[in-house]
Amino acid sequence: MHRVFNDLGLAVLVVVAMAVAPSIYSNQLLLFNFVMFLSLAQGLNVIYGFTGYLPFGYVGFFGAGAYGFALAVMHLGFGPPGAMAVGAAAAVVLALILTPLFRLSGAYFAIANLAAAQAVYEVVANPALEDVTKGPYGVSLSGVFAPNASYAAAVAILAFTLLLVVWLRNSQFGLSLRAIKEDPISAAMAGVSVVRGRTIAWLLSALIAGLVGGSFAWEVSVFYPETAFSPQFSIFAVVFALFGGTATLTGPLLGVFILYGVYNWIGISVPQYFQLIYGTLIVALVLFLPNGLVSLLTRRGIRVP
Amino acid sequence: MLRRSVVVIAALASILFVPARVEAQTAPAEIRIGHPYAGSGPYASISMPVYLGLKLWVDRTNEAGGAFVKPFNKKIPLKLIAYDDQSSTATAATLVNQLITQDHVDMLVSDSGSVLTSVAVPIARDHKQLLFNPTGTGAAFFTKDNPYVVLLADPASTVWPKYISELLGNSAKTAGIKRVALLYATNDFTGTQASTIRNYIKAHADTGLELVYDQGVPTATSNYTVLINNVAATNPDAVVALGYVGNDIAFLRNLQDSGQKFPFLFMIYPGVEKEELLKNVGATGMEGVFTYAMSTEIEYKPNFGMTAAEYKKAWHDTYPDGKYEFGFNAIAGYTVGLVLERTLATTESLDQLALRAAVQGLSGKLTTLDGPFEVDAETGAQLGEITPVGQLRAGGKMEAVWPLDLANGKPTFGKK
Repeated sequence: MHRVFNDLGLAVLVVVAMAVAPSIYSNQLLLFNFVMFLSLAQGLNVIYGFTGYLPFGYVGFFGAGAYGFALAVMHLGFGPPGAMAVGAAAAVVLALILTPLFRLSGAYFAIANLAAAQAVYEVVANPALEDVTKGPYGVSLSGVFAPNASYAAAVAILAFTLLLVVWLRNSQFGLSLRAIKEDPISAAMAGVSVVRGRTIAWLLSALIAGLVGGSFAWEVSVFYPETAFSPQFSIFAVVFALFGGTATLTGPLLGVFILYGVYNWIGISVPQYFQLIYGTLIVALVLFLPNGLVSLLTRRGIRVP
Repeated sequence: MLRRSVVVIAALASILFVPARVEAQTAPAEIRIGHPYAGSGPYASISMPVYLGLKLWVDRTNEAGGAFVKPFNKKIPLKLIAYDDQSSTATAATLVNQLITQDHVDMLVSDSGSVLTSVAVPIARDHKQLLFNPTGTGAAFFTKDNPYVVLLADPASTVWPKYISELLGNSAKTAGIKRVALLYATNDFTGTQASTIRNYIKAHADTGLELVYDQGVPTATSNYTVLINNVAATNPDAVVALGYVGNDIAFLRNLQDSGQKFPFLFMIYPGVEKEELLKNVGATGMEGVFTYAMSTEIEYKPNFGMTAAEYKKAWHDTYPDGKYEFGFNAIAGYTVGLVLERTLATTESLDQLALRAAVQGLSGKLTTLDGPFEVDAETGAQLGEITPVGQLRAGGKMEAVWPLDLANGKPTFGKK
């Protein structure tokens, strides 16, 4: 029980900090990006950290959420909350369609997932679908543009995501997922339903990306397919989660706060050294801390939330 | 009596001298101009020349003591705060916010092109900050309910194909150029132009114009060999191939390799970034191609700022390494600077809507090396900088061929 309170305490601290941050720092969009990547890194953590399946095409769910939101606003006349639900549903449906990818594993799964995300992008950006998705010409949702409300929605999604990870870390279901990650055959022999477990984790992970994608569409309101399906979202989510350490609550949080903080600091103060500093940081991590920053503590037997 | 006189003199003195003292106190030490640009990534080729052109203007203006700012009746130095967004829309959005909320820039110039401009439009509007938009031509940016965006150095996408459409119509009547193949990269800039040309052809079917091929391809397309064969199979009189710089280079190279000839071939970038195309395709591969004759080719007589020839010399003097070729985007960056300079010289205050009013005040009066400057008062779209059609001759020379009042040559058509 003490562990649960520790995890919950950290989650509440982060959510409260991000909720009050706009009253201290006025670049709300930068804060939004932090909140967005905190959720995305944790969403990726749900599938990769707990089951070991690395989806390089995670942005596919994010883009599906963004376009689900946009289509609901443009064609169904939905308000932002309803459109967010449609965006989330679009991501979950896409995840269901892609469940056969679990026949693959390792690098094959990661690459197939990347190809799937690219396929979704090509469908959305197809000029023949201009009447539906606006094709490659982008959508404009200026009618629902409300940055304060979309920021609040993003913080709510972050709260949901962190609570989900706390539950996974402290529940029997989360334990079964980690058993699948360690050795799916042994887990199955011990009575764990491998297919059911990883499918639920997959859908939850897609749900988070879809919700975040919806809030992104609401926040930026004007975007193109290459914006919503930019591989940068996948890359950042993967790098942030790996940098901090997966299967923990703290790892992805640290990854986002440190790496995305450095990313913005470099980009604003010394952009000419961007590739050098960022590259050095990541190479150092891979060489010296392949299990992420939290491994500095965990390998000494210290439990990290 | 003496006391009253002292009071009157003091009152007069306060009227005469105090406002001047207040102005002197409130005049900013510098005018802060914010600008995100793409130093790397897919948009660097169009963004860097705009940034370097703007920077050249800032440096030269500061060498002359700064820009004259009407509300303070004096010259004030300029400070360019520029951040590299690496062609990422997410980073561009954050940097635009940074420029507005942290750097508190007086004038905000967006990045180049529609994709990177798209994220800045709603942010600027939300913060009630006027967005000086160099080349983001997407029609969706310019709406009657948003006074916080103005397009400076490019006409709106729908305006670009006006003269090529007219030339097609004229050529149908006079030269039998009737069967048109339309091949375009599916992005906002070229897609909108394709749509305008398509609508023109349909509306002028009575001239005999007929669309025999209409195909959009991804902007990332780098091999046109099969597409050229597909187009040739429809036996067109005219091919209109609309893409970005990379698309046009790939198309022209593949066309040369295939040995295929079309009587009439129109493309965007052989005229817009001619030096870049000459370097990558060669003059022979571009001979006979119809293209936009931009301000790099048509010598406008500016009533403010350098002429194109003077600016080209200044560009090569300032950036002798040749890393970024002189072209239309280089002119666009300098043009933005000129508009900012005239805006500061005529605005009533640094309030953002006052700046917008000052820009509108320049409409129809200002002519730069980029041509006549004319802004739609309701939407902020650029309407004045026209895009005549030129045709490339041997050795990379270009002649303007349409409209007739700007033409210095006649269109010639190849054989089928």
